[in-house]
Amino acid sequence: MTLSQMSGVRPTKGYLMEMKRRIGFIERGCEFLKLKRDHLAKELSASLDILKGRRKLLLNNLKEAYDALTAAYISLGPTEVDSQASSVKSALQLEVLPRSVMGVRYPYVKIISKPQITTDLDITLARAAEKIYEILEELVQLAEYEARAERIADELGKTNRKVNALENTVIPNYKQVIKFIGSKLDEESLEELVRMKRIGGALASRRK
Amino acid sequence: MKLDLTYVVIRTHARIANLLNHQQTQRLTESKDVQEFLDRLAETSYGRISIEGAEVVPIALERVFYEKFLERVLKIVDLTPQKIGDFLQTYYYLRFETLNLKRIIRGKFSGLTSEKIMESLVPINPYLVPSYKELADSASVGEAVNRLKGTPYSEVITKLKLYEQYEAIWPLELALNHVFAKAIFEAVKTLPERDRRIVYNIVEYEADIENFLVAMKQRQGSKSGANLEEMFPATYSISLEKLREVIETKDLKKVIESLGESYAKVLSPIYTGDVALIRTGLRRHKYETVTSGKAINAFGFNVIMAYLVYSEIEKDNLVGVGWGKAQGVSSQDLMKYVVIPRPS
Repeated sequence: MTLSQMSGVRPTKGYLMEMKRRIGFIERGCEFLKLKRDHLAKELSASLDILKGRRKLLLNNLKEAYDALTAAYISLGPTEVDSQASSVKSALQLEVLPRSVMGVRYPYVKIISKPQITTDLDITLARAAEKIYEILEELVQLAEYEARAERIADELGKTNRKVNALENTVIPNYKQVIKFIGSKLDEESLEELVRMKRIGGALASRRK
Repeated sequence: MKLDLTYVVIRTHARIANLLNHQQTQRLTESKDVQEFLDRLAETSYGRISIEGAEVVPIALERVFYEKFLERVLKIVDLTPQKIGDFLQTYYYLRFETLNLKRIIRGKFSGLTSEKIMESLVPINPYLVPSYKELADSASVGEAVNRLKGTPYSEVITKLKLYEQYEAIWPLELALNHVFAKAIFEAVKTLPERDRRIVYNIVEYEADIENFLVAMKQRQGSKSGANLEEMFPATYSISLEKLREVIETKDLKKVIESLGESYAKVLSPIYTGDVALIRTGLRRHKYETVTSGKAINAFGFNVIMAYLVYSEIEKDNLVGVGWGKAQGVSSQDLMKYVVIPRPS
């Protein structure tokens, strides 16, 4: 804290006690934030591991689904595939609900209804549709994990910045203010002592 | 202009020689994109194909290849003696009309506009129905099917109850398949006795494989609730009992092997999961059937049938390769599904 910033500080005992109360509160808050940061880091690390695994799995399944769809198109022709695909009436219905970890809200996707893909489709197309549907489910889950990881990472960043700000700026500033007030008060009490001693000396010499 | 059969057969031999060979097909699959595919196709008997202004390139290409194939059918129908010409017209036009009726029903089922439905049809004039447009303009599936009254497809109307019961169009599609098979077997009777075998071989084998694939779908848990007689109105070498076994057995391999070598060979991709290869196998079987028919009688109907089957296989190949090139599918992946009618 600079000298100019110190200018608003009232070097009184009451203010010093208020500052000490505040710094105690801030330090406790900082401890809590550190705990939150550690927990979020743990959650993020777990989410990233899951994401990594699921992405790898998804890429394999995506290749399989793409191959199955390619085979269906080559085998039936694009018009027939489009015509058969249009006969699938029921669509994939999703509901996005909120969930929370350490106060961080992320979307949770619930599958309400699945498309009925096999009844009217040719077996080639039905196989491709099944594989694509599996991927859709995986994609939905992956999106959920990505959103979760992203939000946790965001919150982790914010928490980390708060902890750093508290540890490196706010708390040292408060400590400086406390130190400043303490030294001001010491100075004042020393001055007071000297003044008292001088007054005492003057009174004693007058009595003589 | 009707010509003498021997003369038509000789001309057909020359037409077979004009089909794309292995090298040309391979070269087409190796094109880096649709433009190169079209450039390479321009060097063949197809000449330059224009698809300018096409909204969806693979669909426009598919339409062009269908038109080219139908031109070939019409040319042959035009030249061949009356009975053979009539049969061939019935065989191909009825098949494509059945496909068109299925697409109209699907379109109505999914609520597509009349224009969209018309765009999806194989480019032929109505054969046994008065108008496709009228059917596509119907307000519902029921209305479209009821408009088939008085046509050879009127049997389909009786399946409307099943359609409503299961809320699915498969009973209507199966009824159309049945009408097609019945009409073909009726039409084939107009051919001389010695020429019928090749048609029976193709139609029955194809129906057997399609029945098997429908049974496979039931096996995968797609329970339609229908009984087997409803589901398979026409069975040939793969009996209803065998189809029941396909649905219920745990050892599918054993059932497939019991169907005989010819079926086991075509159905073998089922073990690897690439069911599309079954259709490739079916095409190959058709190719082999007509090729051996052609070898038995190189100066008769078999040659004409072989040419049309080869042409249709070529059309299917080009549709697949055209789509594949628009999607950037590699030559290796495309060649898996290609059956080449004419070796280099």
